[in-house]
Amino acid sequence: MTATRITIDPLTRVEGHLKFETRIENGVVASARTSGMLFRGIEKALIGYDPRTALQLTQRVCGVCPYAHAEAAALALEDAMGIRPNANGQLLRNLIVGAYQVQDCLFHFYQLSALDFIDVTTVLDYRGADPGLNTMRDWVRNETRSQRIFPAAPFLPAYKGNVSKDKEYSLSAVRNYLESFAVMADLHKMVALFGGKSPHPVAIEAGGVTTRPTIGNLAQYRTLLNRVERFVHSCYREDILAVAKAFPAYFKEGRGYGNFLSFPYFPDASGKNHFFAGGATIAGKHTVLDLNAITEDHTYSYYKNKAGQGIKPLGANRLEPLDWQEFQREEQREDGKYSWSRAPRYGGKVMETGAAARVVNTYHAGRNPALRKLVDRLNRDLGIGLKDYNSVLGRHLSRYITVSLLINRLKEQVEQVEPGVLGFSEKEIPRNVRGIGITEASRGALGHWVKIDNKGLIENYEMVMPTTWNMGPRDASGQPGAVEQMLIGTRIVDPANPLELARIVRSADPCVACSVH
Amino acid sequence: MAITMNRRKFLQRIYQVVLAAGAAPLLSFDELLAADANPSSAGWLRPNLIWLQGASCSGCSTSFLNVEQITILDFLTYFSRVLYHPNLSTATGDQVPRILTKVAASDKPYILIMEGAIPVGMPHACMMADRPIGEWVKGLAAKASVCIAAGTCAASGGVAKMAGTLTGAASLDDFLRQRGIKTPVVNLPACPMHPEHLVYTLLHFIKSKRLPELDDARRPRQFFTHSVHERCPRYPAFQARDFALRIGEEGCLLELGCQGPVTYNDCVAIGYNGNTNNCVRAGHPCIGCAGELFPRPRLYHTHDDPKAKTGVVVKKS
Repeated sequence: MTATRITIDPLTRVEGHLKFETRIENGVVASARTSGMLFRGIEKALIGYDPRTALQLTQRVCGVCPYAHAEAAALALEDAMGIRPNANGQLLRNLIVGAYQVQDCLFHFYQLSALDFIDVTTVLDYRGADPGLNTMRDWVRNETRSQRIFPAAPFLPAYKGNVSKDKEYSLSAVRNYLESFAVMADLHKMVALFGGKSPHPVAIEAGGVTTRPTIGNLAQYRTLLNRVERFVHSCYREDILAVAKAFPAYFKEGRGYGNFLSFPYFPDASGKNHFFAGGATIAGKHTVLDLNAITEDHTYSYYKNKAGQGIKPLGANRLEPLDWQEFQREEQREDGKYSWSRAPRYGGKVMETGAAARVVNTYHAGRNPALRKLVDRLNRDLGIGLKDYNSVLGRHLSRYITVSLLINRLKEQVEQVEPGVLGFSEKEIPRNVRGIGITEASRGALGHWVKIDNKGLIENYEMVMPTTWNMGPRDASGQPGAVEQMLIGTRIVDPANPLELARIVRSADPCVACSVH
Repeated sequence: MAITMNRRKFLQRIYQVVLAAGAAPLLSFDELLAADANPSSAGWLRPNLIWLQGASCSGCSTSFLNVEQITILDFLTYFSRVLYHPNLSTATGDQVPRILTKVAASDKPYILIMEGAIPVGMPHACMMADRPIGEWVKGLAAKASVCIAAGTCAASGGVAKMAGTLTGAASLDDFLRQRGIKTPVVNLPACPMHPEHLVYTLLHFIKSKRLPELDDARRPRQFFTHSVHERCPRYPAFQARDFALRIGEEGCLLELGCQGPVTYNDCVAIGYNGNTNNCVRAGHPCIGCAGELFPRPRLYHTHDDPKAKTGVVVKKS
């Protein structure tokens, strides 16, 4: 038996500082450890602040999905206040978070993942008339002939491996990679129209959205949405299907536990009837959501406190980070702590969250015929079943499903907004109350818990993040985290170029700034 | 080298960004043509860039990718050479420390762009390739031609340094000063960093080999001379003492916690996202995201909030 270790530190093209290690036996991953390597301590710092600041500051946990934190923080504070936005407030909030969710899914596919499946140097053979591809070809040619340090950076060097042999697909992916920057800027404009700016839109507050909708800004939103829709239905759809057809084995790779957690997401104007159902699917059985089942373990996380029983939300603020010496000691230990991330569990179970969880739970809940129809059709075309969503390509496909369906909802809801009517009503900060806000970030189930003291200031704040669910470490009982489990059993063709591992980890779209915060 | 019509069109597009960034006084279109024909003699050299992230959220990177007047393709292939960027590079794992070490050891000039703060009090709070991020910054900043602090966290600590955090986060400038590193720093605060600010600063440096004129806080005067308040579209309401008491009303937003008077940035003039909008236009008081004291413990509040009179002091042990 031969055993080797593969450490990837840092994994690029994800958000933040991610490290992972695998032990390979006979070419197959036997065990894996994923580590979030950035700690900022923002939850604990919020104590003593005005609760409304949480809507702005928790966004700064993540510059890729700030909108979801704004929404969750607003929902938590509205829960504490006992209010709900009016129809315009809810619709405008949906227009902001919906556009941002679409942006984030495109960002993940094109900027963070697509380059793993193609060879950029394919453009050297390009003979067509596309100006972007011509610029790219001339540039790659000049660069690779030059004596420069790291020619063709940032596209080279890259892991060598089994990439698409289909030139047409590779060229289309490069063209759309370049094109997607403009599409994402359009989506950020849609966010800014009602959010003020993007990233970090300011206008989502407890009580609604501060921007007054006008005929003008609604028309601009609609125009941009139409442009985005064309890209999604032609380019994004084709590229997703092309990857799915070129790499069918990746519907089997990166299998995790198959336990899926998602929160209700994207309500109608009344704030109810969420388009994506929440819930938990465990061993193929779908159950309704129980927030009391959530605990966080820190046995393998860099905190001083004695581990044991999982901590309920709002209990983690007593965790003290390790100092430098303790950190060094843990790094030396064979079975030491290895991540800043905590390990959330649902009734003790490890759960995967994200687009695949959202799609599978909504499918099982059975109240969304549009989603069911799209999933059934894609499954038929690709020859897969619902169980295959627990895979690298299942996760990519689920993001496309989310985006495709969201675009239609946005088109409906932009028409429901009443121009000129302010979607905001304010209420003073209550005393001695708690609030919970849950939603779906691009990366999955996101919850904010707030406790307000007798002076109307934050007494305690806690966020349980999608990437904490996915990328958290082992727990007291030794269960590997969700992504660790996805890596186990993967066959590595070339340990010097472990492209398989990078593809699996990126399929879960880790956001490390979020996961530790 | 003769300049073909296609090339000329391409350069016209490039020149749009020069105009948009306000750099036309530095660089005429003819100079750009000359520089393109003979890059070395005209002093037009694509600078090597290394982009690092410390205690950050990637928000400044995603903000940068929104840049409009220039395509990202032009940025990567014409304006600069991005040797490393955490969200764009295909290089991963041990390829990354190899790139960074080789660049620092080479005699090639490069610019270091730093996003996020540096946790000095808890170096293990931000690790990359088994080393604290501060060590990478130290090694790379010492040999860089210039360092750019992208966004409020790098410029003054921002959210990473908010009262109550434990990591002892430092801005890039403070970090380098503590270590006696003399490489000049340009601060581009705002949360997120405004993409045009970075493009202008780079262009200025490429063309004139020096930094744009900076203020005491090492920010380009071009963008940070005026307060948000001075240029606010609601400034006439302030002069008329017409104050909004609720969100949605027309007047000046000072009574609702607006931080425009103490925040220096040109965001109200040039807007965000290609001037699609900005915070004040969105009916929201300025939250002071480009200020050195961002984030304060109270941002937007109701006009009759009793805490507004006494202030909030965040007491931390």
